[in-house]
Amino acid sequence: MRTHHTRQAAQGKTLCTQLFVALETAVLERVDQTDTFLLQGTVPAWWPSIFGTTTPPSTVQPGERSPFLKQFFTEAEQSWARHAAGLVRSGPWTERDQHGTTLHLEATALLVNSRQLLLVARLGADFEQARATLQQAREQALRHAQTTKLQTRNESRLTSQLSQSEELRDDLLGVLQGLGLATILTDGQGRITFISDEAAGLLNLSTDRTGQRWEQVLSCSKKDRDAISTRLRSPAEQHDPLTLHLETGNPRWLDVTVSPHPRHNEKRILLFHDTTEIHDLRRLLDEKARFHDLVGSSPSMMQVYQLVRDIARVEATVLIEGETGTGKELIARAIHCSSSRKQGPFIAANCAGFTDSLLGSQLFGHKRGAFTGAVGDQAGLFESADGGTVFLDEIGDIPLNVQTSLLRVLQEKEVTRLGEAKPRKVNVRILAATHHNLNEDIVRGTFRTDLLYRIRVARIQLPPLRDRRDDIPLLASAFLGQIRAAMGKGVDQISPDALRLLLSYAWPGNVRELKSAIEFAAIGCKGQRITATDLPPEITRSQSHTPLSTWMPPSTSHDERAQLLRALNQASGNRSEAAKLLGMSRATLYRRLANHRIDIPR
Amino acid sequence: MMHKKICMLGGFAVGKTSLVRRFVTNLFSEQYHTTIGVTVEKKSVSVAGEDVTLMLWDLYGDDEFQRIRESYLRGSSGYILVVDGTRKETLATALDLQRTVEGLLGPIPFALIVNKSDVRDVWEIDDAALSELRQQGWTIFFGSAKTGEGVEAIFSALAHRLLQQTT
Repeated sequence: MRTHHTRQAAQGKTLCTQLFVALETAVLERVDQTDTFLLQGTVPAWWPSIFGTTTPPSTVQPGERSPFLKQFFTEAEQSWARHAAGLVRSGPWTERDQHGTTLHLEATALLVNSRQLLLVARLGADFEQARATLQQAREQALRHAQTTKLQTRNESRLTSQLSQSEELRDDLLGVLQGLGLATILTDGQGRITFISDEAAGLLNLSTDRTGQRWEQVLSCSKKDRDAISTRLRSPAEQHDPLTLHLETGNPRWLDVTVSPHPRHNEKRILLFHDTTEIHDLRRLLDEKARFHDLVGSSPSMMQVYQLVRDIARVEATVLIEGETGTGKELIARAIHCSSSRKQGPFIAANCAGFTDSLLGSQLFGHKRGAFTGAVGDQAGLFESADGGTVFLDEIGDIPLNVQTSLLRVLQEKEVTRLGEAKPRKVNVRILAATHHNLNEDIVRGTFRTDLLYRIRVARIQLPPLRDRRDDIPLLASAFLGQIRAAMGKGVDQISPDALRLLLSYAWPGNVRELKSAIEFAAIGCKGQRITATDLPPEITRSQSHTPLSTWMPPSTSHDERAQLLRALNQASGNRSEAAKLLGMSRATLYRRLANHRIDIPR
Repeated sequence: MMHKKICMLGGFAVGKTSLVRRFVTNLFSEQYHTTIGVTVEKKSVSVAGEDVTLMLWDLYGDDEFQRIRESYLRGSSGYILVVDGTRKETLATALDLQRTVEGLLGPIPFALIVNKSDVRDVWEIDDAALSELRQQGWTIFFGSAKTGEGVEAIFSALAHRLLQQTT
């Protein structure tokens, strides 16, 4: 039995030794109360590299080699002295062996049967695992801190930038408001994102309208809205401003410029300029420069307007003189419309080119059967114009016998239809016009003196266009407006070069020729602006030809002959061209050539 | 020869091990290796003509995973608090540790080094916070384990103070 126990004890000792070796743990027992320890059992493989070659049961002083262990003895000693049960652990520490390799160790002090023991274990895989986990956790914590820091820094930077941007925005807004610029900013959907104070005032907006669509704040016509929509879709810096008329509240005229936002393609900047005052001034100027359908603000035309007003107040017969195309009929209409007869009819008759009987019938009417073709009773123009005005154009061309009948109308205020004996009372005012020199016609015997004095109670002499060149831009612009409306073309400007040509041209055909030239140019014009090349060739050629600035109205027979000859010479004998230069029809030219007995071989 | 135990204290990854390594071996590694437990290094220096062996106890960084064991601090003659200039919170950790050590060991000599002066443009710790500590009598160094700046100076300064205290 005793042998059995002895064997068991020996086996147990061997097992413990093997266990400590497996755990890479050295077992040391303190010798007396010194720093010397007795190495027990088998030393683990790592021991010699740190503490030197030692064979159990040798004594060692590990504190000499390891300051850490030396300090741990102090802690262990206190525990041993108290005879405290349990273990005192040193916690892990690191030692470097002779080759520089690091070993992680941990010491444990314990008291077994009053024997003071010290176990020194090498920390193995579990320790490395724990260390790796800790390393990973700390690296993650560092990364997280770094990310947080970066985010905080970015947030701080962005906050600062935002603050700066807001400050800059406020500054610019202040400048914008200070400059009094009326501005609206819209987003890609046409919603308003900003309205300056000036714009709000201009558009009569009492509340903040940001967020609304632009159409909701601009009370203008559909046409104007469509024009703005087009600009918003394709804004361009070079576009001329749009002019729009605000219709509600305080009506205004505004020029609108639509520009793309410099940084956001979809955004638009609308800049408004109040042009109401300019518009009103322009209207006043236009009113001043217009008189009924007459256009012109030159001193000579202003005198004409005044004369028309004066003449309109009386019932006197008027002779309107002026070159062809100067607007004689327009003057007649202006007199009629300014007179007390304006509610009555205005009948214009061109007396040129009619036979005696036909003209007589036209003016005075006829009885059925009065002449061949008179199939019924017919009232003449005088009767038709009863209560109104008759305008007799080209009165110098009236045959003598008709002049006699006309004289009777003027003297007796009655007409007798052809084929009738009984005169009829008429209440008409007669306005006559001619481009003739009637004094010469009297000398030639083609016009009655008494008739001249009857029709020339009042006289208006219309200046030729060359004598009122200042009116050319106004007239050209007015004609362009009429033509644009009629043709539906977008031509609305005349280039400076074209205008220079218009101003320097002689205008033998006067205002009528100017209107015709503008129409010609508008038809040929490819863009919005009439250029010099769009003008009729006689005007563009006038630059290179001898200018007809010396052209004078045919005030005398001699002058007219000279003028005809000069025009023929300039047109190299081409009568059509000469007629154009003189601003008259070919028929008139032929008649005048015949009058002056000028014979040009064909 | 006189031996003096100096503990290196501070938050994790502030550069304690790197400062010791730079001081003892004049080497530096960019790679971070967390310390578990303690590594004790020795370096002999001459202070005012006297040789002193500095026992540098490089303790693990203090954080929520590892708290400093008081037993490691016992027997220290002095300590160095290490702060990472790029991480403001490491200064707070250093202040906590200083209070702990002073509570345990009393007013022994110490110095504070603000490490990573090579990246000073990204420092979070400003002079205002440090000047307040200086007014309280703290010795503060700026240094870099990477460049070696201030490393010799802080160990030398602390060694002088330890020697002065001994005499």
